[in-house]
Amino acid sequence: MNDLTHPDETATPALDVQIVAAAARGDRVAFGRLYDRFAPMVHGVVLARVHRAHVDDLVHDVFLQAMRRLSSLRDLSSFGPWLAAIARNRARDHYRRDMPTVDVPDDLAGLAHHDTEALEALAAIRRLPEAYRETLVLRLVEGLTGPEIADRTGLTHGSVRVNLHRGMALLRASLGITAPARPARPRPGTNSRPDHEPGD
Amino acid sequence: MNQATDPFDNHDDYLWSGLGDAPADVRRLEALLSTLRSQRPAPEVADIAPLASLPAHAPWRAWAVAATLALAIAAPWMARRVVPVATHWTVAWTDGASAPGESRLRVGASLDTGLRQARLAVGDIGTVDLAPGTRIRLVDAGATRHRLALDRGRMEAVIWAPPGQFLVETPSAVAVDLGCRYTLEVSESGAGVLHVTAGWVGFAHRGRRALVPAGAMASTRPGAGPGTPYLDDASRGVVAALEVIDFGSDRGEARAAALAEVLAAAREADALTLWHLLARVDARERGLVFDRFAHLVPPPPGVSRAGIVNGDPRMLDAWWNVLGLGDTADWREWTSPWSSETPGGTR
Repeated sequence: MNDLTHPDETATPALDVQIVAAAARGDRVAFGRLYDRFAPMVHGVVLARVHRAHVDDLVHDVFLQAMRRLSSLRDLSSFGPWLAAIARNRARDHYRRDMPTVDVPDDLAGLAHHDTEALEALAAIRRLPEAYRETLVLRLVEGLTGPEIADRTGLTHGSVRVNLHRGMALLRASLGITAPARPARPRPGTNSRPDHEPGD
Repeated sequence: MNQATDPFDNHDDYLWSGLGDAPADVRRLEALLSTLRSQRPAPEVADIAPLASLPAHAPWRAWAVAATLALAIAAPWMARRVVPVATHWTVAWTDGASAPGESRLRVGASLDTGLRQARLAVGDIGTVDLAPGTRIRLVDAGATRHRLALDRGRMEAVIWAPPGQFLVETPSAVAVDLGCRYTLEVSESGAGVLHVTAGWVGFAHRGRRALVPAGAMASTRPGAGPGTPYLDDASRGVVAALEVIDFGSDRGEARAAALAEVLAAAREADALTLWHLLARVDARERGLVFDRFAHLVPPPPGVSRAGIVNGDPRMLDAWWNVLGLGDTADWREWTSPWSSETPGGTR
């Protein structure tokens, strides 16, 4: 029997499937592990679309829906993409229910300068095309790496790479940041750039 | 590949892997934006407490969010607990006039508070406070379901169990906790009034159901079951009119006047009442309710007047789903086990 009591951030997709299966059977410890593992992804997906004040509530709402409907998930290995789809739908649904997205709060003057800058950066990300928006929020806000974003959302590594690169270029342009000087290309055999994508 | 647009430019390797040299602007953005990560702590039972102080007149959409949140927070925590099987509840007298100490109320036993007041510990999922003049009977104290019968008097329940685990029989309806705090009062005649102050309560009798959120009330009558829920700031006139519609025998002018009064007084916040009314009136009246309801809360695409008048359940579901009161699929799952509950003759 697998140890489901200690969250493991490096859990493999195979273990994810076992955890999802356990959660689908009603193992709430397993569900708690899924929450720990996927909450940042859900938070990022929702934050990319919905005003920050509503995000935490919606994240819990998404997990509540997922818990109730988990038994209907046929392909357990697709839990991440399935959960991401629920999160996107819930965010769109929230937007449709006359809850307008507000990029920055009205009371910016009352926020610390650091907070103001963060919200302005988030607003700039939200003005990007949707594909770039979500990936950049997952990377820059939630701190997920490219492989982790691909693993959690079901996007291909290539799509995530492209979204990160092009989204970052657009974000820099939006914020008036000059692209950093390109460092020298690493020599073959060094590990600063993997020859193969992690997880491939 | 054009080098200028190569998506795998080396200087963005850090973006992909989080390893290697981080461009200064990326590191700065990470530092700024990481402050926007969720600060909400992992689900803990202590997080339920603020719901008890939820303003009774908070906007009704906020009730739904709060209730959903309460369930979301409580469910994982509750589910991880090992719930012992109990055969009794403990009773503590709380009026200060009695000697300190606790008594046991066993399954099948009754308790009449007389001139005193008492607090019941419902396993480890909540408490029930009993007012003087209250008579209850413990029907079930199982591992996953607790059930008591309130024959008369007044009780206040605070429950933090997952939906559907705590039920209260009254002579005319069964109240099912959906994660909440509420009061329930039953008169000598068996008539009852439910007032929810946090979360939701389902009220059912022979398939007739009412979903009552915080800040709302519902009456019940022997032989009829739960009436239409209404907000607790509804006028006396509206409450009296609903009594005529729900429990009156008149099918003529008095009923028409009552419905007209309810519809004329309806606000957007009364969508809860109007939605329930659709299932409690005849086809002709349903058209009148539709017109007022649609004026206050436009029906979503696919929901038509003809469909609602004909009682199309899918259209009713669709309209409910735009009210911000949760998804019908979730409610159906939570409520299906008790939708046909009857008091069961426990008096």
